[in-house]
Amino acid sequence: MSEAFEIVAFIISAFIAIAGALGMTTTMSMFRSGIFLMASFIGVAGLFILLTADLIGVLQIMMYIGGFLVMIVFMVMVMHDPGGAMMAGMDMAFVERWFSKGLVPREPPHSGHSGDMHGAHGQEHRAHRRDSHPMPQGKAGDHRSHSVHHDEHAGDDHQSMQDMDNSGHAGHAAHHGNDKNGMDMGGMDMSMVTPVRPAAAWLAGAIGVVLVSMLLLRPTWRVVNAMPDPDSARRVGHLLMEKYMVAFEGAGFLILIGIFGAVLLARPSSHPDDPSRAARVAVAEKPEPIADDGLVPLPVPDKQTEHKEHHRSDGHGA
Amino acid sequence: MIPLTAYLIVGAILFAIGVYTVIAQRAAVMILMGIEVLLNAIGLNIIAFWRFTAPTDYSAQIFAILIITIGAVEMAIGLALMMLLYRQRQTVEVDAYAELKR
Repeated sequence: MSEAFEIVAFIISAFIAIAGALGMTTTMSMFRSGIFLMASFIGVAGLFILLTADLIGVLQIMMYIGGFLVMIVFMVMVMHDPGGAMMAGMDMAFVERWFSKGLVPREPPHSGHSGDMHGAHGQEHRAHRRDSHPMPQGKAGDHRSHSVHHDEHAGDDHQSMQDMDNSGHAGHAAHHGNDKNGMDMGGMDMSMVTPVRPAAAWLAGAIGVVLVSMLLLRPTWRVVNAMPDPDSARRVGHLLMEKYMVAFEGAGFLILIGIFGAVLLARPSSHPDDPSRAARVAVAEKPEPIADDGLVPLPVPDKQTEHKEHHRSDGHGA
Repeated sequence: MIPLTAYLIVGAILFAIGVYTVIAQRAAVMILMGIEVLLNAIGLNIIAFWRFTAPTDYSAQIFAILIITIGAVEMAIGLALMMLLYRQRQTVEVDAYAELKR
């Protein structure tokens, strides 16, 4: 690896890592935050590979990119405004404005009448979208699925999809966010960052300056000139299986317990006070039919023939 | 060859950005992202020190692997907690979870 190539690769990787992290924290769109964070991880992985820790670099890309795809899906499902279209018009610092470039601002949802209007519009819009797909079953199934999906997930999903393909319809997008719960978001501060943002920026800047100046002022570390084994993954594997066996097993056990904990936490609780229980009970009582699959219903063995057969067997018995 | 200090400076900047994110962001997902950036900065520091001061001892890479593992577990638990809190409060903004302050 020649010197110039190493320097260029370092500069590119460091730039991607830092700019990605900066964009992650300053953009108003959570979706963009996730993408920027992936870029940052890729930059750090490049630095790892430059440091001849190829195994760690590849592991970084695999673990984090996979994890962050999941996280982005979560944001799209759960977040209030993952596309950031609502705060795109807010007052922003220069960096924030730059990283939020291209977000279309739109009206925050007002409570009451206009919210209802938005909702109606959104339904109409979605009906239009749905109709554009070839669907054998017409309006009836359409209507039912509307009533099923008329919640935050559908609204936010819809919204983020629109942001993704930049269709310019963001102005018409219905924000269903909290219509269902009757929460009034009109008076709240809709921004993604807390009011302590300037103080946090100063603090983080101070931390950065102190760390960097300490690094620059410190004379030198005792740098060894030896080159690591180019096949370092093999060495790491041997260490994992010999010296650090307990740590390895512990990490595996930690993952197992973590999975148990995550499943336990995310399960709908059976505690009677838990609001999620109502949804579960409702589902258990009246299972939702699987709609809109467009299949011809199978000829079910109806009650009458069964009855007849029953009778016949009865006659035989007699 | 790139000096050790260059890598450490990148790590320090990442760390500062992560601290800013954890303090200033309001949504729980963003705070998790900030924690990931912090863990990344730590991993970068560890690997840089390994490469420049003890390149024949591969324990640092194992440390980095453990950090990545813990980051993954933390993200899983964090997302599960977020889902739970979202189902209870219909919000994921951490300012709404202030019961213990009362």
